[in-house]
Amino acid sequence: MVSNLYAFKRDLNKRGVFFCFSGPVSQDLLVEIGSTLKHKMKLQEAHNLTAIRVFSMVVEQAQNIIHYSAEKCPKDNLLTETNEELSIGIIAVGYEDEHYFVLCGNRICNKDVERLRDKLIKLQKMNRDELKKLYREARKTGPGPGSKGAGLGFIDMAKKASRPLEFNFRKIDEEYSFFSSKTVI
Amino acid sequence: MDNLIIEETKYTPLVRFDSDSHVLEIRGESYPENIFEFYDPVLDWINAYLEEISENQSVIVNIELIYFNSNSSKILMTLFSMLQDAAIQGKKIVIHWYYDEENDISLEHGGEFREELKSLPFHLIQVQERS
Repeated sequence: MVSNLYAFKRDLNKRGVFFCFSGPVSQDLLVEIGSTLKHKMKLQEAHNLTAIRVFSMVVEQAQNIIHYSAEKCPKDNLLTETNEELSIGIIAVGYEDEHYFVLCGNRICNKDVERLRDKLIKLQKMNRDELKKLYREARKTGPGPGSKGAGLGFIDMAKKASRPLEFNFRKIDEEYSFFSSKTVI
Repeated sequence: MDNLIIEETKYTPLVRFDSDSHVLEIRGESYPENIFEFYDPVLDWINAYLEEISENQSVIVNIELIYFNSNSSKILMTLFSMLQDAAIQGKKIVIHWYYDEENDISLEHGGEFREELKSLPFHLIQVQERS
């Protein structure tokens, strides 16, 4: 890995990635990413609004990892009563073709793939007005079963993005697949 | 009833509900990990407060959120719906949605809420940029 690290970094640079994290994703990490982004964007003189837009994509995607990743690790080495866990995933932020983008990935159970894929395909086909309308309706009704939030995350991202969401499911084994998504601001 | 004061944290807003002055404030950022854990007590307080106040009580609600995630948006909608129901019953509830002059996103969000809450007085108020 030591001798390959340069190649790995160079590969990230080539893809326009200026921030990359792979490991346990936590709320505190979100705060750190937020600070890094604001600092980076200030340096590039990007409008503050862009920083908020990019940050909002990072939050939605990272919180999806926190809530839904099928890969976990214990919060600390001691066995706690609450048995708290951290979710594992990968997040990357980059700049390409004059747009910022956010990539994220995490393991999910195969049984959840179909439902998620159908939902995302539907969103990909909608225009901005349709997404706004869907967002409003979804916000009024309750979250779906198995949802840890409002069920609005992907709709919100699709609505804020400058291009349709990109996503990919890659089967790992009989139980799990790897889900990755990209949003462009 | 007791006032509700929740201090601001890195990812949750300041909540300051004053049942004597009838001014309810939410300010800061909102993206808690567990949305229900943070907001259930807030909604419970509002519920109890709305039942307690008199028929035509005036209430001012000041909201100034720089950023809030999609979960928070749903909770805000729930909160505003509760306030709208009270307004329909005769209580004089007014929402002040503050946004930074450079923050188009916040202005847009405020506008979207206002459009959906036709029976609730909802004002979009620009704040001068702070240094």
